[in-house]
Formats: sequence, structure tokens, C-alpha cells
Amino acid sequence: MIILNKRHEKENEYKKINDRDFLDRKFFDGAILNLAQWVEIKKEFKNKKVKIGIEFSSNECSSSNESSMSEISLIQIKFETFKDGRPFTFARNLRKKYGYKGEIRATGHILPDQYIFLIRCGFDSVEIAESDKDIWIEFLNMDNGLYYQP
Amino acid sequence: MYKYSEKDKSIIESRTKQFKNQVQRRLNGQLSEEEFKPLRLMNGLYLQLHAYMLRVAIPYGELSSSQLRKLAFIAEKFDRGYGHFTTRQNIQFNWPKLPDVPDILHELSKVEMHAIQTSGNCIRNISSDHLAGITIDEIEDPRPWCEIIRQWSTFHPEFSFLPRKFKIAVIGSKKDRAAMLVHDIGLRLIKKDKEIGFEVFVGGGQGRTPIIAKKIKNFLQKKDLLNYLEAILNTYNQEGRRDNIYKARIKILVKELGIEKFKLLVDENFKKLSDKNLEIDKVSIDKIFSFFTLPELKPNSHKVQIHKNKEYNEWVTQNTLSHKVSGYSIVHISLKSANHPPGDISSQQMMALSKISEDFSFSEIRVTHEQNLILPHVENKNIYKLWIELKKLSLATPNIGLISDTICCPGMDYCALATARSIPISQKISNHFKSFSDQKILGDLKIKISGCINACGHHHVGNIGILGLDRNGQEFYQITLGGSAKEDASIGEIVGPSFPESKLIDAINTILNTYKKNKKKKTEDFLSVFRRVGIKEFKKDLYDNT
Repeated sequence: MIILNKRHEKENEYKKINDRDFLDRKFFDGAILNLAQWVEIKKEFKNKKVKIGIEFSSNECSSSNESSMSEISLIQIKFETFKDGRPFTFARNLRKKYGYKGEIRATGHILPDQYIFLIRCGFDSVEIAESDKDIWIEFLNMDNGLYYQP
Repeated sequence: MYKYSEKDKSIIESRTKQFKNQVQRRLNGQLSEEEFKPLRLMNGLYLQLHAYMLRVAIPYGELSSSQLRKLAFIAEKFDRGYGHFTTRQNIQFNWPKLPDVPDILHELSKVEMHAIQTSGNCIRNISSDHLAGITIDEIEDPRPWCEIIRQWSTFHPEFSFLPRKFKIAVIGSKKDRAAMLVHDIGLRLIKKDKEIGFEVFVGGGQGRTPIIAKKIKNFLQKKDLLNYLEAILNTYNQEGRRDNIYKARIKILVKELGIEKFKLLVDENFKKLSDKNLEIDKVSIDKIFSFFTLPELKPNSHKVQIHKNKEYNEWVTQNTLSHKVSGYSIVHISLKSANHPPGDISSQQMMALSKISEDFSFSEIRVTHEQNLILPHVENKNIYKLWIELKKLSLATPNIGLISDTICCPGMDYCALATARSIPISQKISNHFKSFSDQKILGDLKIKISGCINACGHHHVGNIGILGLDRNGQEFYQITLGGSAKEDASIGEIVGPSFPESKLIDAINTILNTYKKNKKKKTEDFLSVFRRVGIKEFKKDLYDNT
């Protein structure tokens, strides 16, 4: 898998934390926690100077999970199916309602046909198979930059 | 009529190119059918019982003569020589081949047409009053607003993967000729203290849970329209159910939360998400309105010509209306002749009609949600000549609004979801009630027929609704009474046990006899009688003697 940021591949600075490290509270720089883990350690995490990410499943993209993400540097949204449109609204709300400035990344079942929509809703990057890179970039290149929405 | 800007053209061209790529990937096996499905649905391409079906968008039902000619060409070249107008003012072709579809879309783009927003879980093509801009009872022309919403909703990055499809209708009169109250969002232009704005309704729909939309806003300022729609859609996209396809429409969310709670969420989103850039200023509004001016009509005192011909007179009485400009008429073309499936039209008829619209109606044609067509501006002095032309094409059936003017879905003859046939039922009704004078005695009466519970034939809102069911491999038809899709919208009540096809016409006759017997004066229509006497009277006559 690779991380694509617009047209460019970039290094993945994040890695999911394993259960043992989580139990031992070994939060390394670039650890990705799932939502349940984050909820569990949220309070003790305050003021720790570690770059951390949270992964939301598309099922967890509800309005109740939107607020106070400012100390998180990566929000990774895992699409259970590309047909689930909640992450589009979730990302947009993070940016517009809560002013979230960190990285928003899509992973899971996503299609290159959705790339422009993802970017326009506030996603920065996608995690995709290396062999799909060309088609993702091809779809981005098909975008003529003309939209009806601001 | 609206004309594409360079931007519209580029957007459609780029979409056509994208779809070509998607079809190629599907044909190469790079895309699974599951992955291809939502992508083809974004381009109006369904997979039906026997073949693919392509639904082409006719925004708010307006067509130019060259667009109709192109539709005729497509029907002839890529399909089986006919098309079918739908209840949302679109047209569908029932037999296109997948590799041809990119070419069809390319042909359509040449006349500023496409098939986007006609399927899939997105904001669908916007529908409207077929008399928009030509009727005297209008507060404001709704078409420019439909166009504004069309543009905003096209390939909306946030709302292209909604829990379910999403339909919006806009009307500009008190009278509802667009079934606005059974849409996900209904907008009605109203005037308050000299300012024109919108009354907003939400959560209407048909299908297996028919619901009349609830009012969510008494008065919405024009400038806020798109921000308010975004607030509703944002709420729905996040909170709408995705666990059960039958509970995924916004009507279920509104019902489960209650309109008050739903309104709170929408208001909150409206407050937090409203974007200055989405506010519509007067200059942009005026620009869009400039596309929807009337052609150069010359007011005159000509009345509709009288002729001795009885058939002609019947047609004039039933199929023409006064235009808001004196000396002109609005002419309905019925697509409900006794021998054709409702809404069907052949490529020859389309081709000829295209020419007729150029000769008689400033090259304009409209599609109604009741699956008929309209020539919007016909000079009164030309009405007889027009009738002769339409008659040659078998397009002069005088039955608009009468019992044989049924709305009907394609049913089991085409549709993969259907549980029974509906077209043969509508044809039986048309044949049985062929006589104009018999139909006139029955007055305004809407029969609507669906071949399954999804209700594409609007049976819930038919004065008489017919729903086709499968009972152990046999087709049965359930009857509902008292539905209406107008401003007094209501959902019909089931009258009782269903009927096999062989007994259906008898049952309808009994219902009509109950109506006639209870009618207090000549002009009292079916719905008024039903509402006055209630379903009991009808039940009694229908079931007590059997």
C-alpha cells in the first residue's frame, strides 16, 4: 500500500499501534489508534507531545464523533464500502464546523472515481494499492477544475 | 430555455469521457459489477429484467425541438424505435447495449443533454410544474430555481453517496401539479410582505412507506436556498439509516426523529455551515431568470377555433388550456392512447413532433409528471391545424385528467423489481373506458398503477390506486382509494382484499358506481365524494354482496 497525496506518493509516517504497545501505553510518534482506544486514553493523553492518528470506520462517522480533534495530527477514515457517503460529510464538518487543520486520509474500500470528491470534501491523502497509482492519478488529471459548488 | 454555458459544456464532456473509461474498465474486467453499479447509476444506466435501461434527464421537463429530434435519433439508432417518458419528467430507453452507451451520451451532449442525476443515491433531476412560466396562477416561475438547484446538486462532492436517492421538486403556484408533497424536499415559492421566498417541505415520499412531506420552514429567503438545502442534506447524509435500504430515505429519518428534532439539527447545521459563497446574489438570480423569458408572443383576441367536428371539440375541451398571454393556448399531447403503454412514444412520433413544435410552439415541448407532453405556446388561430397534424400521428387522444389518463410504471414487462404487470392493466382500463362521453361523466379522476410496492406508478396518491402483487405466482391487484398528489395531498386507503386481473375491471366499475350514486351534484368529483362519504360506502358495495 502507498500513500498518495494529490498526485504524489509520500512516505507513510503513521503505523497502527499494536495491542501490547497500547496496553503498555507506549505511544510512539505516528501511532494510529482506533476510536475505542482513543476514547479509553483520551484523558490521560492530554499534553503528551506525541504525533498521533485516529482511525474511524465509516460506520463511526457520526456527528457525535466530530468534535475536539485538534490535538490529533491524522484522522484516517476507513471506508467499509465505497458506497457509504458519511465520510464525505464527516470530513467536511471537521474542516468547516471545527476548523480541523491536521491530515485527513481515506483508506479501505475506495475508488479512483471518488478521488476528486474526497479532495474537495477536505481529504488530503488516500491509502491505495501501489498497482492502482496510475489510475488514481489519471482520474485526478481528468478533473478540469470546473465545479458548480464553491 | 436554459442554454449551456462553456462551464456546463466542459463538465458534461469531462463526465462523458470519465464514463467511457468506466465502461472500458468494466468490459476489461477491471471493475466488478458491484463496483461498476454505482458508477453506471451516476450516468442513468440501470440493469433491468432483460437489458440495460438508460434514463436521460430532462431538467424540469423542458425540451427543445432539436433535443426531441436527438432523442428520436437515439431511439432509432441505439434502441428499438421508442422511448418512455417517466413520472419525473425524464425519458428512458429500454434496450441500449453497454458498449453503445458512451456513444449515446456523446450524442446527447451535442444537444446539451445527459443522463446524470437520473439514478443512484444522489440528488436526482429536479422536477417542476409543467405549466411553469405560462400559467396565470403563478407567484414566480419555478424553473430558474430548478436550474439553480440543478447546477448546485450536479456532482456535489459531499452528496453523491447518500443513503438513498433524493428527489426535489419546486413549484411556483398554490396549485401543485408536480406532486411536490411526495418529494424528499418540496419547495413552493410564496410571497410574504412583498418578498418572494420559499416554503420548505421535507420527508415526503411513496414506496413502501408513503408519507406526505412535513413543513420545515414557513419562509426561506431566496439568498439562503442553497445553504439551507445543504444543511438538510448534510443532516440526512450523516444521520440517515444505512442498515436497511427500505428505511434509508429521508422520510424515515424525519419520521423517527420527529419534524421538530430534525428541524433543530438542520437549523444547527445551517448556522454552523452556511457559506457566504453559496448565497445567491441578485445578479446571478437575474442571469438565470434571463434564460426563462417567454418567446415573442403577440397578445391577440383570437379565440380557439370552433369546428363542427365533434372529435375536435372534445379534444379542445379536454386537452387545451388558456395561456397567460391572450390569444394563445397550452396544448396537452396525451401519451395514453388505448393501444400504447402510458408514456411510450415512437421515434417517428418524436421526429414529427419535433417539427410540429417548430411550426406551432416556438420549438418548445414539455414533459409532465403524468407522462404526457405539452406544446406550451400555440396560437389559438392554429389550434385546428395542429389537431389535424397530431391526429395523423395518433397523438390527439382527448383524455387529459380523465380516467384513461393513467400513470403507470413499466411493471413486470421491463422492471426487475416488479411483482406484477402494470401496462396491460392500464391498457385494459383505457380500452374499457374509451368513450369520451362516459369518461366525461366520471369527471376528473386519477388512476395510478404500480407493479410493485416501490410505487413508481404513484398508486398511493391515485384517486384510485392499483398495486400489483404476486400471490403464489399469480398476479393480484390491491386497490387504494382517496389518494391525491395535489396541494391537498393524501395517501390512499386500502379498500380491502385484492382482486385477480380477471375481476379488476368489475371492481373498478363497482367503485365508480358507488361514486356516481353518492354524487350530490354534477360537478362533484370522485375525490370530493370519497372524502365526504368515506371508504365504508365503497367497501360495502365492493365486498358485501360477494
